[in-house]
Amino acid sequence: MSWLPRISLAVIAVSAALPVYAQTVTITTAGGDYGNAIKEAMWAPAAKELGYEVREETQSDGLAALKMQVTSGAVTTDIIHLSSPEGAQAAAQSLLEPLDYKIIDPKSVPAGAKSDYCYPFDSYGTVMSWNTKALGDNPPKSWAEFWDVAKFPNRRALRANAQDLIEIALLSDGVAPADVYSVLSTPEGLQRAIKRIEAIKPNVSVWWTSGAQSAQLLKDGEADLVVTWNGRAQTVKADGGAVDYTFKGSVIGTDCLGVPKGAQNKDAAMKLIAAMTQPARVAKLTDFIAYGPVNPAAYEGGLIPKDRLKTLATAPENAGTSVFSNADWWLKNGEAAQKAFDEMISR
Amino acid sequence: MSVAADPALAADGRRERRFFLSLSLPALFIVGLAAILPLLWIVRQSFLTTAGQYSVGNYEKVLSSGLTWSALATTLELSLGTLVVCIILGIPLALALASTRPRVANVLMAFVMLPLWTSILVRTYGWLVLLRRDGLINAALTGSGLTAEPLPLVYNFTGTLIGMVHYMLPLFLLPVYAAMRDIDTNLTRAAASMGATLGQVIRTVILPLSAGGIFSGSILVFIYTIGFFITPAVLGGGKVNPLSIRIERTLSTFQDWGSASVLGILLLVLMALIAVMFLTARRLMAHNKMGAAHA
Repeated sequence: MSWLPRISLAVIAVSAALPVYAQTVTITTAGGDYGNAIKEAMWAPAAKELGYEVREETQSDGLAALKMQVTSGAVTTDIIHLSSPEGAQAAAQSLLEPLDYKIIDPKSVPAGAKSDYCYPFDSYGTVMSWNTKALGDNPPKSWAEFWDVAKFPNRRALRANAQDLIEIALLSDGVAPADVYSVLSTPEGLQRAIKRIEAIKPNVSVWWTSGAQSAQLLKDGEADLVVTWNGRAQTVKADGGAVDYTFKGSVIGTDCLGVPKGAQNKDAAMKLIAAMTQPARVAKLTDFIAYGPVNPAAYEGGLIPKDRLKTLATAPENAGTSVFSNADWWLKNGEAAQKAFDEMISR
Repeated sequence: MSVAADPALAADGRRERRFFLSLSLPALFIVGLAAILPLLWIVRQSFLTTAGQYSVGNYEKVLSSGLTWSALATTLELSLGTLVVCIILGIPLALALASTRPRVANVLMAFVMLPLWTSILVRTYGWLVLLRRDGLINAALTGSGLTAEPLPLVYNFTGTLIGMVHYMLPLFLLPVYAAMRDIDTNLTRAAASMGATLGQVIRTVILPLSAGGIFSGSILVFIYTIGFFITPAVLGGGKVNPLSIRIERTLSTFQDWGSASVLGILLLVLMALIAVMFLTARRLMAHNKMGAAHA
């Protein structure tokens, strides 16, 4: 053995024996603009504060990646970014560690959005949008009015999916936002919602199947009243389309952060989740993307510019009218709800 | 029978047949790999529960659901509707093409074939541009005062049917046109010289002699349209839901591979049934014709 390999071997041996000073945490996001926003606003500053080294992985299908890592016993990620329905699914399949609410502040999540396994941090809404040319300054003021086909005989477009729509149907039928899921959890509740949707079926000209399609319908004036996702309505509006929308009575979906079962740096992951979702950081996220913070404290102290509030699902002015989509309810009842919905469409 | 009697010649024939069969082996292999294997996988999947056990539960679930039967009805309505419109539009068109000079007919045929060379997605969205409320057709109708309100031409059964007929018409036309082209013109002349009117010539000479082509075209239309997905998905507005859309939905919203496989098998059985029906009807017709000729 010549001297060069000997020295390099020695160097390797010494560096392996040295204690690791920086705690390393691996985070998995979907990447792209959204993943980058989460990095810039949330985990990069949090990691700096904690002195952590963060490694980033990107996966377009987080749930599939999580399942593969956990079931194969090769868990490489410590924090994973999922949608809340995926989070509920992952929890039901025991793919996530329970969140440590001694480290993470439990008061940072409103009651309706709470989860034991996947921490919800940002939000989007299923909203009412309308064509301003057809409806002028007098659009429906509530879901009850949206259902009033005598007052608003306009063509409607709804998603061909029970998700969010059955919650909206109950809101239109006078159910208080806080009671939606307790009503839905009775067999009559689901029937009531389906019947309510059936009542406006003759006025629904399109049941859309993709977000892009809903935006097109709004833009073309094919339908004047469209239930769609806020991002889609906002895009059409920003492009100069004759479109407006409201978060009043919206059904709010959330994205969340979870820790995979068997993660190598579990405690550090919990600490990083707590730090990266501090009010100032989730408020900062809205600089990049119109996903409103779940933590109500992010709306205090002017962390978010006033003119941006209109584009955020969780803005305080909408509180009390909107409903957080309940991922656990959907996990349990989704199939039955969708079946009842499909049967209603085919009648 | 003298050929069969000569042993050397018979052996030669056998060798030749074997050689030609062996030439088809690569194709058979590909078909086996690309069609039969996945099919077997689907059959297996249809008997698997989500827990991974074998049972007929998926079949019970799918066959007892009203959604399956309403999707089946929609599928048949769409296929039959497309076939009827194709027959009404296609037979006169084939007649016209077969009776024009070959050079003109070739040019016209190229126009008929043009849509076949365009992607179905492009064509379907093209119809959307034409048929929607502020589309070209409705703009012309309301602009000229023919209708006060735009007509609901798309996002419903009508729009779906228009899109499907547009796709299927050339495929229907080809065998019908070929059959009509092959009719000996002496026969139509003879009929005319015997005092048959044009209608009688068409009814008694041309249609019976091109029945084979019309049958082939009809089978093609039916078998093709039973699996249509893009057209009803884009032009149906969520209200036209045949079996193909039911399958997609079962997969995308329920991730239920078992039930989706059952639906796929149902679709396959339906196609087989229809093919058998058509072929039997054709054999019966040919038989009757022969009987009539003998009488």
